[in-house]
Amino acid sequence: MAVRTFGRRSVLSAIFLFSFATTAWAAPSGQPIRIGGTLALTGGLAPTALLHKIAGEIFVEELNKGNGLLGRPVEWVLLDDQSKPDLTRSLYEKLITVDKVDLIIGPYATSGILAAMGVAQRYNKVYVHHSFGMPHLAKYEMHFPTASFGPEPQKSIPTTVFESLAATSKPPKSVAIVTSKFPSAQYQSSGAKEIAEKRGLKVALYLEYEFGTRDWGSLAARVKDANPDLVWIGALGLDGNQLLEAMKKLDYTPPRHFHLFPAPGPLAVAPDGKNALSVTVFEEHPPFTNNPGAAKLIPLFHDRAVKANVPYPHVETQVAGSWAAWQVLEAAVTATKSLDDKAMAQWLRKNRVDTVIGKLRFDGPNNYGDDLFKVKQVQDGKWVVVWPREFTAPGARLLPP
Amino acid sequence: MSAHGRRVALALTIATLGLGALAAVGLPAFYESFLYLIFSWIALATSWAILSGYAGYFSFGHGAFFGAGMYTTATLTTALGMPFLLTLIAAGVLAGLLGLGIGAVVFRVRRLRGELFGLLTLAITFVLATIVLNTRIDGGPGVYLSAVPMPRLLASPTGTLYLLGLLLAVLTVGAAFAIAQSRLGLGLYAIHDDEDVAEVQGVPTLAYKLMAFTLSAGIAGIAGGIHAMYVSYVTVGETFSITVPLYVVLMSVLGGARHWLGPAVGAAIIGASLYAFTGGQQAVLGRAAVAFALILVILLLPEGVVPAVIGRWRRHARAASPPTVVDIAHAAGGGRALTPAGAPAALECHDVWKAFGGIQALRGVSLAIGPGEIVGLVGPNGSGKTTLINVVSGHYEADRGRIALGTETLSGRRAHEIAGLGVSRTYQIPRPFAHFTALDNVALAATFGAGHRSAREARTEAQGWLEFTGLARRASAFPHELNLHERKFLELARALAARPRVILLDEVLSGLNPAEITSAIRLVREIHEQGVAILFVEHLMRAVLELSHRIVVLNEGEVIAEGDPRDVMRAQRVVDVYLGRSHVVA
Amino acid sequence: MPSATLLGQSIVSGLLAGGLYSLLALGLSLSWGLLRLVNLTHFALALLGAYLTYQLGHVFHVAPWLAAAAIVPAFFLIGVALHAVFAYFRVAEFASLLVTFGLAVILESLIQWFWTADYRRYETAYATMSIRVGPLFIPTLEMLACLTAVVLAFATWAWLRFTYVGKALRASAEDPAMAAAFGVNHRAQAFLLSGVSAAYAGIAGTYIALIATLAPSQIWTWLGVVFAVVIIGGLANPIGALLAGLLIGVSESVTMAVVTPAWAPLVSFSVLILILILRPGRV
Repeated sequence: MAVRTFGRRSVLSAIFLFSFATTAWAAPSGQPIRIGGTLALTGGLAPTALLHKIAGEIFVEELNKGNGLLGRPVEWVLLDDQSKPDLTRSLYEKLITVDKVDLIIGPYATSGILAAMGVAQRYNKVYVHHSFGMPHLAKYEMHFPTASFGPEPQKSIPTTVFESLAATSKPPKSVAIVTSKFPSAQYQSSGAKEIAEKRGLKVALYLEYEFGTRDWGSLAARVKDANPDLVWIGALGLDGNQLLEAMKKLDYTPPRHFHLFPAPGPLAVAPDGKNALSVTVFEEHPPFTNNPGAAKLIPLFHDRAVKANVPYPHVETQVAGSWAAWQVLEAAVTATKSLDDKAMAQWLRKNRVDTVIGKLRFDGPNNYGDDLFKVKQVQDGKWVVVWPREFTAPGARLLPP
Repeated sequence: MSAHGRRVALALTIATLGLGALAAVGLPAFYESFLYLIFSWIALATSWAILSGYAGYFSFGHGAFFGAGMYTTATLTTALGMPFLLTLIAAGVLAGLLGLGIGAVVFRVRRLRGELFGLLTLAITFVLATIVLNTRIDGGPGVYLSAVPMPRLLASPTGTLYLLGLLLAVLTVGAAFAIAQSRLGLGLYAIHDDEDVAEVQGVPTLAYKLMAFTLSAGIAGIAGGIHAMYVSYVTVGETFSITVPLYVVLMSVLGGARHWLGPAVGAAIIGASLYAFTGGQQAVLGRAAVAFALILVILLLPEGVVPAVIGRWRRHARAASPPTVVDIAHAAGGGRALTPAGAPAALECHDVWKAFGGIQALRGVSLAIGPGEIVGLVGPNGSGKTTLINVVSGHYEADRGRIALGTETLSGRRAHEIAGLGVSRTYQIPRPFAHFTALDNVALAATFGAGHRSAREARTEAQGWLEFTGLARRASAFPHELNLHERKFLELARALAARPRVILLDEVLSGLNPAEITSAIRLVREIHEQGVAILFVEHLMRAVLELSHRIVVLNEGEVIAEGDPRDVMRAQRVVDVYLGRSHVVA
Repeated sequence: MPSATLLGQSIVSGLLAGGLYSLLALGLSLSWGLLRLVNLTHFALALLGAYLTYQLGHVFHVAPWLAAAAIVPAFFLIGVALHAVFAYFRVAEFASLLVTFGLAVILESLIQWFWTADYRRYETAYATMSIRVGPLFIPTLEMLACLTAVVLAFATWAWLRFTYVGKALRASAEDPAMAAAFGVNHRAQAFLLSGVSAAYAGIAGTYIALIATLAPSQIWTWLGVVFAVVIIGGLANPIGALLAGLLIGVSESVTMAVVTPAWAPLVSFSVLILILILRPGRV
């Protein structure tokens, strides 16, 4: 079933590309179309926002190398929201009411996205965003998320993860859930607890810690004490690495460990990251790389990221989600041949958009479609998708402990 | 209201109307929200300065009150469906009560000043954040206010927030101005310079600090309530971050924390600078450039922008016209008879005990000073003389015993009440308020001492007392510009301006040269001639014998002799004590 | 109820975390207490030290102790240079907060300019080493950091207490005019102290590079807790800073082990508030 969907997608994208190629001759001309957005270029969210900046820059350059949008060049008006939601809100107001941009695209991360969503709503702007973690809070009818968690990620993501593990030769019987009190991480991890219990897993430990904690030793000691078959780490950035290291120092390595929103690079290369599990919508291997957009993106991103001194210059969830957001915006403009927000929103709600992370639809609750997240694992220093089977890297499978 | 007050009130009203009209005409929403954020910072920084700038209680916990306000509005609007504007009142009241509660506990502990107070308020912020994070108030996922209806004060929601921010900022700055001009402000400034002296001079320090803290916290709470609606998604991480407590300090320091307008100016500068470099390409280096500019400003204007500008303007004005200080002094004091407080009364100490840890400083001291009497209190170092003064003036509470002035019991009262009843004192090492001129130092005593007076009366009277002590020409000098002799006399002028019935003089003569001593003794006589009773602690026997009607000798916290000066000083026990033969025991 | 091993392990972990707080607090306490400078730049310097260690180790393969050997004298000079600015402009206590905040932001921007905002992690072989004592494991790096804090605290204490320079500094802090009257050259010693304080930031930075993850904005994550440690310990009191760091570390980690990690700040700071209110003389 899923395989067939994929086939259809290839065909569709081929058609898409073809129609694209026929018009992509002339260099864009005329008044530029200005797309406004902010990213946390400085402050606490800057590490990941940097990836979104590079992705967006590449996308806009590629657009302009082609035919632009509607034959017009595209200009990305990017502002720095300094990781502050209140500033984010006012900067979106600036973009819309002072700079009078034609279109907007969302900032990085949940708080900023919510802060700007209110602005988009007041000015009836189509609002595509790429990194929003709490679908139930997104009530605006013209918002379009490409962090494709589906409407209930707190259920669907743990289900996917536990299912993938249940299918291995040594399914875990107990789980320790350790989660940061970062809103989206905590939200999905508390869901994991429910799902685990429902599936008959023993929840040996459920811990919430303050986002920004400095003492990993105590957390590690508690996990070791609980000795579970699986540790679910509801963490952001490098929290997971820190916890694994702290456990290693106690001479303890959990049989399996799952990381909700890890910084991908360090976990892949760290010795403790061996067999780490996480979820993703994109990795640099087939079938994902079969997507023609992806094939174009990967080398470009790699080049640019290396130049920008980014330590892990690979396309994965964040970058692909960002790219997909631009693809959604482009698709809506191209399909409606207009910059009219209402028309674009109407089209987006009715149609599926083919992106690097798969076919997106926005007709479910709160404009969410399917949960596109897959399970990935660190194998030989690289992330590879291991579940569901039709997306697994060639020759890969979920390795048991 | 003074002319200055009317001018400021007018300026604030015009600013409000002008800025309000701007919104009614319809600014692009960005300017509304940009200005809203600046108004919000103005309210926060100014409210912080009411306690921390004026009274010098450096709080690192303004985020706690801001956060309390944010969560009050967030909770009441979402969980209880209360109208937004109503929740602002609740936010202000709750945060204010939080401040009051913390103050009521903390301000009683004398040592919790300076950085310890800063630490305490910081710790309270952490505790509050943890409670909110782990209870149903938030619990972790944050509170989302998008469904809360926005009242339509103006057509657009941003306009409404702008207007609320404007009102709050103007009211806060207005309040800061009014306080700076009032008794409360005067008292807070005095607390900043020397809290113990302020209390002894009649400033109800605890009440004033509580008022300032409550107001400061309450305003921060309202600002938080409005801000909850502005961000519409309230999370613990954002709300209780280090940003608010750090930025209000930086803004106040930049603008000048002791001036009512300083924090507002600092807030406007720093608030606007956040937007200076938001363009994507130069964000990182732009931030560094803004920081560099801030450093330059504070290095060049270390006391803050507003005081620096005013100071420069004043110097300019002064250079243009000759000084008039001396003339004022003559006009004020001339021809007006200065009178000390009401009816003379007797001071009585009965069986007063005081211990510090294991050291018994006073062991059942009993002594009396008749109305209009001068009593010399002598004794070797460490015999308890200064302790007795500290206990009588209320700086320390006696462990046991009763102290009375006329029919009023003093023991058990706070120092400022005792000052209000007509007891004033001087310090052996003068303790003038460092940021007050000589005139203001005396005026403070006149304002808060016995017989409360208005600011203008107090200044006129202070001029008189400066003249009386020969300091009229130094009226506008600051204490560090005075020599020791002048500072000692300033102490006397302060003590007199309080209209005392009893003055406790603690070694007024020490450190003076013979000519100065002679003039000081004459001054004490003149004071006495006005009907004030004097307790005179002194080592200089010549002066004691010359001035005192009666002498009391203290040794190791006990009265060992009492009576006619010459008889007492000849008594064997007194001689032994003074010659150091402490083995002689009663 | 947690097992004895868990409790013991959490106390170890708290002590070691506290050691790092102390290490950061030490320099701050000195400059605040003796120079009346509330030096927010200290945090930025520590992070800069961490990034330099990372750069030298991860990119140029210089061993961390060699990196520290280069960083410490360099930072000493930075500290001296900083004090030259403070002294020239006669920066007061309040204003110092603003100036050093600005410097910290500039350093943060520079760090982000060179190393990007992305996370950096210095992977070393000894990052996960630990020593086993009975049922408990003591992580080697953290233990070294903590021991360094102990050694530096006592050395600094002895320096202030027994040497002429230390006594002169304390005298100047208590009464600058009087000390000057006795011929104490406060200015020269202030330079020395500022250099030492910055050098401590460099040492702390090396350990941060080895133990923690680096991102430019992490300058600010330590601010609150280290401020608390400095003040609890008493300004310019190295031993106090050490004990205060350990106290906060242990109370947090024990709460994490016994109750729930998210409540940890509540316990440690409530204890602090109670101490402040009930026994202010003890702080």
